[in-house]
Amino acid sequence: MAAATLNEDLEKEDIQGLLRRGYGHLPTADFLLLRIVEPSRAAAWLDRLADEVTNAAGKSRGTAVNVALSLSGLSKLGLPSSALEGFSGRFLEGMTASYRSRALGDLDDDAPEHWRWGGPDTAPVDLLVLLYAKNEDLLKRLNEELAGGLATDGLTLVQRLDTQWSEREHFGFRDGIAQPAVKGLRDGSPLDAIKAGEFVLGYRNEYGLLAERPLVHQSADPGGILPPASLSENSQDPASEDRDLGRNGSYLVLRQLSQDVSGFWAFVDRASCRAYGHSDPAARTKLAAKIVGRWPDGSPLVLSPDSEDQGPDDDFRYHHIDPHGLRCPVGAHIRRTHPRDSLDPDPGSERSVEVDKRHRILRRGRTYGAPLSREAALNGTHHEDEERGLHFICLCANIARQFEFVQHTWANNPKFGGLDDDPDPLIGRAGRAFTVQAEPVSRRVTGLPSFVGMRGGAYFFLPGLRALRYLASLAPGEGG
Amino acid sequence: MHYFKTREDSIVANLRTVPSALATDARPVEAPHSDGLAGRTEIALERRAPRQLAVTIVATVERQHLSQLKRLLRTMAKNPEKNSVMPLSALPRTHFARLLVLDATLDLEGAPLEPQLIYMADVDEPAEGDAPLERCLVELVEVAGDGLDRIFGACVGYPPPSRATRRRRLAFLREHLVEPAAAYVNTVGRGVRQIRQEADLRTAIRGFLDRAETDWDQRDPTEVRAGIRDFVNTQGNLDWARTPPPSSGLGDRARDIVDLLGRPLGLAVLSPVLVPALPLAALLLRRQEKRDQPAPEKPTLDHVRQLAELEDHGAQNQFSAIGFVKPGLLRQLTTEVVTRAIDYASRHRYRHANLAGVKTIHFARWVFLDDRRRLIFASNYDGSLESYNDDFVDKVWWGLNPVFSNGVGYPRTSWLFFGGAKQEQQFKDYLRNHQAPTQVWFSAYPDLTALNIENNARLRAGLYGEMSSEETQEWLRRL
Repeated sequence: MAAATLNEDLEKEDIQGLLRRGYGHLPTADFLLLRIVEPSRAAAWLDRLADEVTNAAGKSRGTAVNVALSLSGLSKLGLPSSALEGFSGRFLEGMTASYRSRALGDLDDDAPEHWRWGGPDTAPVDLLVLLYAKNEDLLKRLNEELAGGLATDGLTLVQRLDTQWSEREHFGFRDGIAQPAVKGLRDGSPLDAIKAGEFVLGYRNEYGLLAERPLVHQSADPGGILPPASLSENSQDPASEDRDLGRNGSYLVLRQLSQDVSGFWAFVDRASCRAYGHSDPAARTKLAAKIVGRWPDGSPLVLSPDSEDQGPDDDFRYHHIDPHGLRCPVGAHIRRTHPRDSLDPDPGSERSVEVDKRHRILRRGRTYGAPLSREAALNGTHHEDEERGLHFICLCANIARQFEFVQHTWANNPKFGGLDDDPDPLIGRAGRAFTVQAEPVSRRVTGLPSFVGMRGGAYFFLPGLRALRYLASLAPGEGG
Repeated sequence: MHYFKTREDSIVANLRTVPSALATDARPVEAPHSDGLAGRTEIALERRAPRQLAVTIVATVERQHLSQLKRLLRTMAKNPEKNSVMPLSALPRTHFARLLVLDATLDLEGAPLEPQLIYMADVDEPAEGDAPLERCLVELVEVAGDGLDRIFGACVGYPPPSRATRRRRLAFLREHLVEPAAAYVNTVGRGVRQIRQEADLRTAIRGFLDRAETDWDQRDPTEVRAGIRDFVNTQGNLDWARTPPPSSGLGDRARDIVDLLGRPLGLAVLSPVLVPALPLAALLLRRQEKRDQPAPEKPTLDHVRQLAELEDHGAQNQFSAIGFVKPGLLRQLTTEVVTRAIDYASRHRYRHANLAGVKTIHFARWVFLDDRRRLIFASNYDGSLESYNDDFVDKVWWGLNPVFSNGVGYPRTSWLFFGGAKQEQQFKDYLRNHQAPTQVWFSAYPDLTALNIENNARLRAGLYGEMSSEETQEWLRRL
């Protein structure tokens, strides 16, 4: 079988739907973390599941199903180590290595040994099944249909991550506004239109190259399920007998982040109060907005510096309107996780935007836990033990350059943008400062506690559909 | 194998002057003071900006002492600043220092290369006197003599314990001193002491603003600046800030000008040979590039783990990478010429806080090893390795390709400058594969990025003197 030349048209039938949609029209969702107990039966189940998996081609329906596998899952299904080695280093190293924890900020109470799942002392997670439905009934039915007999299918449920639909994350801000548009799947503004290879393996990325991806020798795919490995002009070309296990796949990062809503508002209230400790609701909201970079309704501070009115507008850049952070602080959450045109080289230029484009992530998270209103958070009229947060999910083709870079070099980095001691004020670690640029001189909020906790996480591979069927075909059938 | 040019040559090659932006009339610092950061040895009065020397010592390790040496380095690594072997914070003018062991290997022809110990330090030249490099070695022997015995005692030719006198230690270091092929300094002339003082100044001013009862919003920039200045004036431990930092000495400037003009002049003299030879060399190089065998190999997980454990412990990171120079005279010459060009550009063009758009590198150097068969690159940079590599790929590929592409296995280049680092993943894998663990690493100011340091220096520089309202506002943005 000769290797094909690179086909740049996205094979939407083979790409999982999550790369195209966040399923905003399907408000109920369950994320199932499964362990493979008996590989051959699990593989048979996975093969049946593949029929139900939502791809990126069809119209939206009343339910959606997507599935991803961890390294241990791939290995249990029988993928040989020669093929595993083709996955990116970060996927192979995992999220819990000590040096990785340092980079991701998963330290102290957030360290993997305290995680509820995905940690060194919890049950291994092999599969992640994402179920979405229009309503609770449909979701229940979907659960029963696909995961009703897990035990007989050689699987056990490690954890069910339920979700609670909300357009706003728990601190009360519109979320998920800035999203890259995968070229070929969606149209987007010049800032957001990103080459498919940044998210879908087997296509060209923003460097014009193919990201590293797992290949298998054609002898390991006697059924010819997988597509041939494409050639490109870069010299990492696979041998012509290779077949592409990665094509149309992506990496999925899942992190369960708890949010301390009352802690957030109590801190912001204290830090913005008038003399003698009187709360100042307007100043409080403003400080919270400075921390996020948007007002609660999603209006960006760069366009609406004084009050919310714009709505979740995303058509803006920083440098020409607000080079010094007087509107949106340099260290604000959205400015540092997606700096647009504000960083070197040449802030304000296309070159600056090009750098930003190499560090985008496709966010697909969902909130969990009952919402807590700002008033209740401030009055303390709630049960402290009730947990709420975000099942953070993002998709990317290069975990190191995209997810980890954003988390480490931009969010967690107290030196971001020339700052001195300011990690991300919203999701960063405790004990540091937040500088609010102003004239004549900036103001500093110090002693920020941590508002977000880490409860579990893992890196997954979201395969293309042919790859999924291939993986399901590896385990020897029951009884030979 | 290891060579050491005459003292004067080394001085000229290693010295840099203070940048013009900060160079003001030299005025002596008025009085000695105590450093705000952990008690350090008092340094003699600085009358001129110290140049930064790239000290490199390379010695062959006796194989039977190798594992013992590595154990010793691991002990040191637990606390590079203060450890019983060689407390690096006792060297008051040292910005960064590292110790690494290169394992035994085979060269391209299969001949064995013995394990080697490398000590590298970025040091401010001592304030007075001649032969600054020599005096750095003297200081090393005086401060860390016993430690040197324990560390370099594992090396061939080091005097045995009974015979390790000051003179013999010094002779050993001198003999194993290697001059870098190229050295980069983020900001020439800015010494450790100045960097730490100015960080203290910023912290003090920021704390003052945070604490002050004054409602700064109601003041104009000039009033805020005056308030800050009044505060600084009342702080005895900040009295040094009332005078500008030391500026470069006349001799240093003169040597710079000689070098600036001298090297191009040399080229001009050689031009009757060079002009016809260059196109031919370019064509030959291109032919070799087409035959090059890039080695796209993913680094092993064990290798990555070993390196990653040493990274991301603070605001800064270290990087050491080593590779064989491609065989043949043409590649040897290219490496020679390119490293010289980098050295020249570092000395004259990129001497102040910005290396062609990259503002995160404190110090970097290239050093030939093993009779120029291998080249080691060592740097001290800010942030993560991923962002450092991205800067290479995005911003300075044109500067890295000409030097790194002379290394065996580098991603394919075209006409020396193009391709190469542009193949992102292959390039990153190449760097990882060639990276060597830096067993011991020391920074005199681990919490400061190069951007912080530059910002602090400008804050100090703008504390006194005339300023328009706009300039004052601009200055206040540094806080």
